Amino acid sequence: MTRVVVPVAVLENEAVSFGLMNLLGTMDVTVLGYHVLPEQTPPDQARLQYEERANEALTDITEEFREAGGAADYRLVFTGDRAKTVRRVADEVDARAFAITGATGTVDRLLVSLSGDVAAERILDFVIELVGDRDIGVTLLRVADDEETTTLSDAQARLADAGVDAQTVLAEEASPLDALLAAVPDHDAIVMGEQAPSLQSFLLGDVTDRVAAGSVGPVLVVRQPPAGQE
Amino acid sequence: MPTGDAPPLGTNIEGEEPDVEPTVETDEATYTDDAELERTIGLSGGLAIGVGTMIGAGIFVFPGLAAGQAGPAAAGSFAIGGVVALLVALPTSELATAMPKSGGGYYFISRGLGTLPGAVVGLSLWFGLVFATAFYLVGFGYYAIDTLAVLGIALGGQYVVPIALAFGAGFTLLNVTGTENAAKLQNGVVALLLSILAVVLLWGVLNAVGLVGRPSTPERFMPFGPFPVLTTAALVFTSYLGFAQVATVAGEMKRPGRNLPLAMTGSVLVVGTLYVVTIFVATSAFESATLASLGETAMVDVGRHYLGGAGALAIVVGGLLATMSSANASILSTSRAIYAVSKDALLPRWASRINLKYGTPHVALGMAGGPVLVLVATGRVEVLAEVASFLHLVLYGLMCVALLVLRRDEPDWYDPDFRTPGYPVVPVLGALASFALIGFMRPLSQAIGLGIMLVTAGWYAYYARDVSLKGAL
Repeated sequence: MTRVVVPVAVLENEAVSFGLMNLLGTMDVTVLGYHVLPEQTPPDQARLQYEERANEALTDITEEFREAGGAADYRLVFTGDRAKTVRRVADEVDARAFAITGATGTVDRLLVSLSGDVAAERILDFVIELVGDRDIGVTLLRVADDEETTTLSDAQARLADAGVDAQTVLAEEASPLDALLAAVPDHDAIVMGEQAPSLQSFLLGDVTDRVAAGSVGPVLVVRQPPAGQE
Repeated sequence: MPTGDAPPLGTNIEGEEPDVEPTVETDEATYTDDAELERTIGLSGGLAIGVGTMIGAGIFVFPGLAAGQAGPAAAGSFAIGGVVALLVALPTSELATAMPKSGGGYYFISRGLGTLPGAVVGLSLWFGLVFATAFYLVGFGYYAIDTLAVLGIALGGQYVVPIALAFGAGFTLLNVTGTENAAKLQNGVVALLLSILAVVLLWGVLNAVGLVGRPSTPERFMPFGPFPVLTTAALVFTSYLGFAQVATVAGEMKRPGRNLPLAMTGSVLVVGTLYVVTIFVATSAFESATLASLGETAMVDVGRHYLGGAGALAIVVGGLLATMSSANASILSTSRAIYAVSKDALLPRWASRINLKYGTPHVALGMAGGPVLVLVATGRVEVLAEVASFLHLVLYGLMCVALLVLRRDEPDWYDPDFRTPGYPVVPVLGALASFALIGFMRPLSQAIGLGIMLVTAGWYAYYARDVSLKGAL
C-alpha cells in the first residue's frame, strides 16, 4: 500500500486531527515524531531526557491511526534540521507523500493543485488511492497561464474513470500560491506536489509551508519521484 | 555495535549508571533502540567550528607577545605548533571516524584506555576549555578597547577585564536563551574574517618582500637564540586548540568518515598557514621589541603600518569577530564536554539537563560560563593560554596513545573509515611532541595544570571509582 509520513512535533504536544486520521485511513502511515534542537544541544542529550515521554505520546498517536483504518508505525527523531529529517525518513520508508498537520473535521472535499511544474500523474494516482471508494469530492485547480501537457479535463476524466467525482477550476490569479489560497474556503484539506526547488521557493521559503500557514486545514504533499526514476 | 552480553558498567556514588546504548551509525543519522539522531553538520560547518575556534588567538592576540619572545623566528614557533597539531589531528581523525559520537577526545580515551584516564581527561578538558574561553574573552576585551580608540573614544586598559566579564556573561546567557541559528552566523563570521585577513596579509607580504612600498628593515631571524622559539611554541599552541573540538560534534556530522578528517586536518592547515604568514608580515613591519611593547593588539598597528586607518579598522573589526567567535565556540564545546562526562556518570546526571522552553543545556552552559568569569577577572593572558594548552596537550598526547593501544588490540568494534598515514610514526611523534611542549611552559602554568589533573583524579576516586567504560560503546 501507499505510505504517507505524518511529521508531528511530539514534545510540543502537536495533535493530529481526527479528520486527517480518517482521511489517511486508506493509506499506510508512518508517524514521524520529531523534536528540533538548537545547535547548543547535542541530539543525544535530548534523547537521554525525553525519549521515554516522546515514545509514550507516539504510541498513543499511532494507535489512533490504526483505529482509523490503515497500518501505522512510528519513528522518533531528535534533529537540528526538520526539513532534512522529513526528507530522510520519507526516503527510508519509501513514502509517496508527507503531511502537514492542520485542524479539520470530517473531510468532504479535497482541493488538489496541479499548478506549476509538478508530476501531475503522481498526484492524480495518489488522490485516486486516497479517496478510494469513499464519498469525497475533489476540486482540481490550476492557474490559467500554465503550459502543461496534462489539461484539467484530462485529469478530470482520469479521476472519473477511477470513480472519483471532480470539479475543475482554472484560476485567473497569476501566482499558483494566491490561486490556491483563494480556493481554500469550502475545502477541508489540500493535496499538492512538492515543487522542484526554484529560485522563488529559495527566496521566499518553502511553498508547501506557506500554504500551511495561509490555510488552517491539513496539507498532503506528494513527493517528487526519486531521482533516476520517472 | 550492539553486543549481547555487555560487561557491567558499574555505578557512581549516587547509584547512576553510564548511559551506553547500542547504536547503528549511518552517514545521515544515528539509530538507537528507540530513537534516531539526525546528522546535520556538513563539511563547511565542521571547518567553521575548527577555524572559528582557533583563529581568534593566533592572529589577533599572539603576534606581539610571540615576537617579543622569539623575534622573527616566532613564525617558526607557529610552524612547530602547526606540525604538532597536524601530528595529533591525523590520529584524532582516525579515532573520530571509528567512534563518531559526541564527546570527542574524552570519548576516545575513556573507551580506549579506561575510566581513570578518561575521567581525568574529560574533567580536565572542561577546565581546559574554561581557561581557553577566559583567554579569548580577555583578548576580546583588548580589541574592544582598541576599537573604541580607533573610533575616537579613549578608555584606559583598566576596562579590559570589565568588558570581557560583561561579554562572557552575555554569551553564556545568549547560549541559554538563544534558539536562533547561530551556526549560520558563525559560518558568515569566519568567511568575513578570512576575507579581511587575505587582503591585509596579501598586501603585507607584497610590502615585506619589497614589491610595493618601502623595503622593510632586516632583523636577525633568531635574536634571542633557538630556545625561546620552543618556549614560544608552547605558548602559542593555544592558537591550535580547536581542531579537536570538531570531534566533539562527531555525532552530528554528516558523512563522518569523510568530513571529520577533512574538517580537522583542513582547519589546522588553514590556520597554520595564516599564522606563519601573519608573523612574517608583522615582524617585517616592526622590530620584535616594538611588537612586544604593542602587546596583545600589536596587529592593529601592523594593519595601520601597511594600509593606514583602513588597515587598523579592518584589524580591530577582525579581532573583535575572531575573539568573539573563539569564545563562543569554546563555551559551546565546554557544554558538550560536560554532557559527555555526565552521561557516563562521572558527573551527576543533572549536569546534562536541558530545558524544554529553549531546548538548551542550561546547567552545563552555566558550569561553563561561571568559572570562565572567575578566570577572566584575573586578566592573566599568558597563564590562561598556557594552562589551557597544558590541559589540551595532555588530552592530545593521550589520544595518540589511545590510537596506539587500539591499533595494537584491534577490538572487533574498531573499524575506522580513515586510517592515519605514517602509522605508527605519526601517533608516536604526536604523543611525544604533545608531552614535550608541556615541558617548555612556565612553572606556574605547569603547576596549575598538574593541580587540576590531580583534583580530577581525586574526584574520580571519590565519585566514580566503580564505573567501567573501557570498550563500552
